[in-house]
Amino acid sequence: MEYRFEHPDEFRAFVRDRKSRKPFDKICTAKEAVSRFVADGDYIVYDFSSLTRGPQSLIREVIRQKKKDLWIGAEFTLHESALLTGAGCATRIDVGFLGYGNYIGQAVCDGRVKVYEWTNGGLALRILAGARGVPFLPTRDLLGSDNLSVSAAKVIPDPYTGLPVCLVPALNPDVAFLHVHQADIHGDARIFGTNLFALEAALASRRVIVSAEEIVEPDEFRKDPMRTTIPYFLVDAVVHAPFGAYPGAMPARYEIDLEHVDRLNGIRNDDQMRKYLDENIYSVADHEEFLDKRVGARRMKELRRKASITEGYR
Amino acid sequence: MPRKVEFTDTEFMIAQGARLLEDGKTFFVGWGIPQIVAILEQKLYVPNVEQLFECGAVGPQSVLPFVRGTMGGPQNTYRSLQWLNMNWAFSYSASGYMDYGMLGALQVDPYGNINSTYLGGTFEKPERRFAGSGGGNQVASHCWRTVVIIKHEGRRFVPKVEFITSPGYLTGPGAREKAGLPKDTGPYRVVTSKALFGFDERTKEMTLLSVLRGITPEEVVKEMAFRPRIAETVTEIHPPTEDELRLLREEIDPSRIIIRGEKMTAIA
Repeated sequence: MEYRFEHPDEFRAFVRDRKSRKPFDKICTAKEAVSRFVADGDYIVYDFSSLTRGPQSLIREVIRQKKKDLWIGAEFTLHESALLTGAGCATRIDVGFLGYGNYIGQAVCDGRVKVYEWTNGGLALRILAGARGVPFLPTRDLLGSDNLSVSAAKVIPDPYTGLPVCLVPALNPDVAFLHVHQADIHGDARIFGTNLFALEAALASRRVIVSAEEIVEPDEFRKDPMRTTIPYFLVDAVVHAPFGAYPGAMPARYEIDLEHVDRLNGIRNDDQMRKYLDENIYSVADHEEFLDKRVGARRMKELRRKASITEGYR
Repeated sequence: MPRKVEFTDTEFMIAQGARLLEDGKTFFVGWGIPQIVAILEQKLYVPNVEQLFECGAVGPQSVLPFVRGTMGGPQNTYRSLQWLNMNWAFSYSASGYMDYGMLGALQVDPYGNINSTYLGGTFEKPERRFAGSGGGNQVASHCWRTVVIIKHEGRRFVPKVEFITSPGYLTGPGAREKAGLPKDTGPYRVVTSKALFGFDERTKEMTLLSVLRGITPEEVVKEMAFRPRIAETVTEIHPPTEDELRLLREEIDPSRIIIRGEKMTAIA
């Protein structure tokens, strides 16, 4: 069974030789970040979903640049797998949660994208293993289920008790996309609210692209270290992307654009997909133009106003 | 005076589910309908339940009306005790702290095995493909008692599910333990739009426990593609109460996008 794997020693060597520990200015455009750090054939993970704090502006940029043959870790995914598959970018998906809508289900039935079933817990654990520098981690789920036959998870006798235990191999993606509330120019980043595996993915991935609603001073992180989600030396690029989670919500910043989401949910065939991609991605140069011409200031103001729950997010 | 109540099959499933849990317990909430069940039960019956979402919300108390399609947003994770991430969330169930789990399903079989991955064809070439496990596999593997919530349609109750996405009792007594799953866990109830099932203690087979008032056990069973065991005394389930329907329709889902469904009636 095919699965993405590199030995921890290869990954560690990459971290030693290719990841700078210097706090330099990593601010760049999404266009620069994606063209520099995402290659055809890469394995990509992202934190959270298209409805909540997902890195939607980065995903749209991947589609705009027509990256090919991507393998995605579809954890808690909603529209991302449909869009990346519909745009011809993704050809393999580790599921997770395959996603919303008829389009992606049909794409699987048509054999246009290959899927492997790791489950959400299995994928999160694979990334944790990648972050911990171990080749696998044991778990007591997946056992007895048919996911075992459509993933590379293995069942072996536990060497301590002799009872069956499930092993999942480490996952070290090529690139992680994280959309955050605040970042500084070096890549220190803060997420407010829950996350899926933000720190694990940042540790486990070769390249980390952070997009941020707001850029703050580096000293802010030193003053309040409990609130740091990701330290700068894991990060390769920082993109300033207000409304980067659109059409999803950014907790305590802006709400979901349900009208736009319904349009995404309604995509059933290639014609509708092409129309959506043309209108929202290919026909605009970048995220700023998308916000300006396709979303509009009035709508953004309205979505900001709707984000009335701020308790706990700081 | 007997009074006729009208409700949808979805409303009935949700109301039934909400009556199942005990106060002072923990509840691992699956995506979709279980989120609504959790809100209703906590508002009406068991205020001291702590919910858990796989996206890392421990003890959330959702804001109403319910925001569909998402679990991790500020409305659904409101007033949590703790905000974490997925690896920690699953640690709460893996270490034995989750009493109940609740999951939706496409198909279920006599041993409570759940399919939510595909229907028809093969895994590589399915006729219809769905979202797959999400965190359902972890919930069904690790919670002490798993509740399945599913529409009462014949094609959903099959002798053998096409794909075991989330494990029930697998092939029968002892099979979960033999597979290495945590001891003494497994499916507890199956809530449908017509009836309530449990599992026979000895054989681990699905057993009809109760039916909606006005429906006979035979009517329930003949719609299923396998014949479940039937409890010695099959009890009657009260249709949705005024309180349940009011909360669902006015506070939880006023747009009625989630609670809509096939119309049903029963005598209250």
